[in-house]
Amino acid sequence: MKYFFFSLLLLAGTAQATQALIEFQSPEQQALFKELTHELRCPKCQNQNIADSHAVVAVDMRNKTLELVQQGQTKEQVLDYMKSRYGDFVHYQPPLNKFTFILWLLPALMVLGLILLLVVRRKAESKRVDTDPVDTAQVHAEPHLEQQLDQLIEQYRRKS
Amino acid sequence: MRKLAFFIPFALFIGLSVFLFSGLFSNPMERESSVMNQPLPAFALPDLQQPEKIWTPDSVKGKPFLLNVWGTWCVTCNAELAYLTELREQGVMIVGLYYQQPADAAFGEVFNLSALQQEVALKLEQQGNPYQWNILDKDRTLIFDLGVTGAPETFLIDAQGIIRQHHIGDINPQVWQQKLAAAYQSLQE
Repeated sequence: MKYFFFSLLLLAGTAQATQALIEFQSPEQQALFKELTHELRCPKCQNQNIADSHAVVAVDMRNKTLELVQQGQTKEQVLDYMKSRYGDFVHYQPPLNKFTFILWLLPALMVLGLILLLVVRRKAESKRVDTDPVDTAQVHAEPHLEQQLDQLIEQYRRKS
Repeated sequence: MRKLAFFIPFALFIGLSVFLFSGLFSNPMERESSVMNQPLPAFALPDLQQPEKIWTPDSVKGKPFLLNVWGTWCVTCNAELAYLTELREQGVMIVGLYYQQPADAAFGEVFNLSALQQEVALKLEQQGNPYQWNILDKDRTLIFDLGVTGAPETFLIDAQGIIRQHHIGDINPQVWQQKLAAAYQSLQE
């Protein structure tokens, strides 16, 4: 029975092999095609690149990308071709413009804000130590309070 | 200062909640079209029922019209045929751009024009025919140049052949009233 299922797997292998292979003139073109189909986004399906999607529009975009790459067009040319039809949406790397600047600005602002917060807190803390002589003076003036505290701590430690 | 520090996380939380809540009602399919206010891209495509007749941007323009991308395989397109037919009866000019899906060679499919013509004629007879004529885009070249993501989509073209509206999704009374009717009327004058 086990061998029967394994032989079915062999059949699946031969079915796979009938898919069409794409031939490229150079390894560079092959790499560019791979890069582009992974960076271009299917406009129909929300979060798939065109290499991954089987939507008609993704298949058409893939074929067009192949055609343009085989014509020897550069990455920028292909991206511009797609963007002029489907907008900036189709490229997974959004351009920096007045609609998207917040994407770059926000993380920087958050880091700056955190640093500012840290600095302010450090300052407030060191100030408290400097200008708060009451606590330390009290402890020094009444050493028996400190002893009491030590005893209490010792008690609780034993209990647990 | 202390009070302020207490309210910052609260304000951040409220801000994030409002942002995410409004996101629940936004439409992810809605986005700026790249072809708005551009002239129709160059094309030379056959008429679906009379393939010897070739349509070009120059031969389709002259009057404001709706260019409706559709296919008999598309369920939503079939659902909007009745309302589009109503619009035609009110005097709106509608041209069909037929979205042909690729024939899947692995399943032995081949493109058959006369079968398609019969299928389209039958469908329009049953559901109503809103189209003055249909342009067949077998390889989806014009559809690609127009930035169409799927069917149905509708373009409002003015008398000079400039694209004035690009609507993704079906046309129903609400969409027509809110998005297209006023623009269409203003082009008439």
